[in-house]
Amino acid sequence: MVLEIYAYQCKKCGQLHYPFRMVCKKCGNKEPFEFDTVPLPKNGKLLTFTTVHNLPPDFNVAKLTLGIVELENGMRITGQLKVPSPKIGMAVSGKVEVVREAEYSKNFGMVFYPA
Amino acid sequence: MREVYVVGIGITSFTRLEYPLSEIAAYPAMIALKDAGLSKVDHVYVANMGSARANHQTGLASAVVDTLSLTPAGAEVIENGPASGASAIKQGFMAIASGLHDTVLVTSAERLREVNNLEATDIVASLSHPLAEYIYGVTLPSLAAMFTRLYMQEYGVTERHLAMVAVKNHDNALLNFFAHLHEKITIEGILDSPEAMTNNPYVAEPLRFFDCCPVSDGGAAVILATAEVAKQLNKPMIRLAGVGQATDTHCVHERAEPTDLLAVRGAAAKAFQMAGVSPSDVNVAELHDAFTILEIVESEEVGFFKKGEGHLALERGETRLGGRLPINTSGGLKAKGHPVGATGVGQAHEIVLQLRGEAHKRQVEDARIGFTCNFGGFGNNVVCLVFKREN
Amino acid sequence: MAVDLEKILRPVDNPVPPFPPKYMMLAGGEEMVIRQVTREEIPDILQHVEPLIHVERDYYDVVAARLYSELLAYYRYRVQDEYVLVAQIDGELVAVVNGRLLSKDVGMSYHTVALRRGLRVGAHAFATKMEYHLDIIGQKEVLIVAESPIGFRRWMIEYELEKRFQIAHELGGVPSWALTKELFNRARATLVVGRRPVPQHLLEKAQAAILPPTDPPKAPADLLAATRSLYDSTGTALMSQRWKQEGKA
Repeated sequence: MVLEIYAYQCKKCGQLHYPFRMVCKKCGNKEPFEFDTVPLPKNGKLLTFTTVHNLPPDFNVAKLTLGIVELENGMRITGQLKVPSPKIGMAVSGKVEVVREAEYSKNFGMVFYPA
Repeated sequence: MREVYVVGIGITSFTRLEYPLSEIAAYPAMIALKDAGLSKVDHVYVANMGSARANHQTGLASAVVDTLSLTPAGAEVIENGPASGASAIKQGFMAIASGLHDTVLVTSAERLREVNNLEATDIVASLSHPLAEYIYGVTLPSLAAMFTRLYMQEYGVTERHLAMVAVKNHDNALLNFFAHLHEKITIEGILDSPEAMTNNPYVAEPLRFFDCCPVSDGGAAVILATAEVAKQLNKPMIRLAGVGQATDTHCVHERAEPTDLLAVRGAAAKAFQMAGVSPSDVNVAELHDAFTILEIVESEEVGFFKKGEGHLALERGETRLGGRLPINTSGGLKAKGHPVGATGVGQAHEIVLQLRGEAHKRQVEDARIGFTCNFGGFGNNVVCLVFKREN
Repeated sequence: MAVDLEKILRPVDNPVPPFPPKYMMLAGGEEMVIRQVTREEIPDILQHVEPLIHVERDYYDVVAARLYSELLAYYRYRVQDEYVLVAQIDGELVAVVNGRLLSKDVGMSYHTVALRRGLRVGAHAFATKMEYHLDIIGQKEVLIVAESPIGFRRWMIEYELEKRFQIAHELGGVPSWALTKELFNRARATLVVGRRPVPQHLLEKAQAAILPPTDPPKAPADLLAATRSLYDSTGTALMSQRWKQEGKA
């Protein structure tokens, strides 16, 4: 089963939002839940990144690389990077995987690999 | 709107404090009340961010107002992340300007060191978007680091510039009794020497240990009042002349321009407009340097320097003590410390001290207009204040 | 008779290469020398460790008490294969680290005490200890425990130590962790810092005398009520504001 991360598209004007908003930021559409779910594209280019050494709890690794990716449709997403030598502007491709695991909860999110 | 004056100030050491949280808020309040010559106030605001999680205390303001025996005055906690302090001052301003109250105590406290470092990092990380940022392991330093990397690429800021901010602020803090860190650092020690990588390791690349502020406990208080009350004191009249606030997208990745801090720009513009002054009139400023990059970028966004030229002004020495526009004479968040909810009030405390002429070795000569920028979240909620000396 | 008894009571140390002194620059620009001390210098160190036994915060009390006993045992020839390294800035004692060799291949790290806060003095001293065990003596691994949460965060998590919970550390049965040669090699870039040889003038100053620490950790003035500032354990920071208002300066 291929997992997706969804953007929310205003039913009135078609504006895409990620993450979720209750009110369309373009046309002000306030009808409750008048948004369609649209899967985010998985390919994009790396806008910026960092390797974090001081991690929050739940992460049992010594360091973690995070990045902001500009996807094909112009939207941006924050995700984890599994890229050996990240460079600003490089092409990356994402997969939805487990990004954080605590004792009783698993969080799924976008992980980017070299395209 | 009535004019609002600062009539009393008080502060604790920013360090690790082993008092209960309500006492950390009460102590500077007592000093401020003494400073103002008041024994009662009409209302109390308490700025704090983490009391529910780190200190297991909710309803902090109710505890503080009673500890100070100021009941039955009304009291609330104002929480706006790291901008809680300036937000609380803004609330006090509104209460007096509107005519509702004549005297307001704005105190603040934070005691994140009651919990261990991992927990404190997590509490601060909860400022990020729960589904689009937090789950990935985003921490505030990681957001600042990604921003820094882009800024370095676009405007040519280097690790050396960041280190210069840290060294300047550490030097200033050596002159500030209440500062958290009284540690002299040198560019050689933290950047050039062969041991620099161990002295100054990466926290979130490219930000290093000395680019990030410490976790501090502490509290600060100011008392706001009408002109009538201020005239009765035998002290310079310091007016809170301008208050401005602006917000931006919650997720850092959704910002319109990834290298802009629009909330800082908007909040500063509103504050200057209300005060009727422009950035070039400011004599001394306290900017929110939770990360050294922020001092540089905020100095541009509030209007002191052109966008992308803040680091050049730093190189020319314009922002150090004795320069054209000293920034963070207290040592800034980097060296004076960052008790998250209390920082905004701490910044106001320093500016009032400067405008009153009581900053001793840190005194900026003839300081008449001061400015603070209190940066909430990672730039999604910013409150700026402008102070003027009226006599 | 006394000499024969001493022969039985005194453990015989195995030969080990001495620690070659090194120096490094700290964040504040000062140069710190780390060198090995012999038994003659232990009394000089003991007098600076003793006050820390009464500092009841950050585990200074338990660490100092244990370090004191280890140093004293070393001095009185009642422990086998122990070494003591000191870190000095301008002759002033800023850190003491010690440990011993459990066997030819396994080392046992005892303690690391920093007598000057900040500036990563403790981190440098600990790393130097590891370098001594693994690089200079040539052991395969070092067993480590942490009494303080700060130590735990720094060493266990940052260096990804291996758990050896089935081995009770000599310090008192708390779970041991191990720094293997492999982990050490991986972290070498950040772990092994410092330069050799130490410039003559720095080494002479360090060897001349062990000077008292100028700003050691102090016990808080009043556990319950005082504002305990790192640099103001008397609570003067708050009181000074009050004094100013009362016209007392």
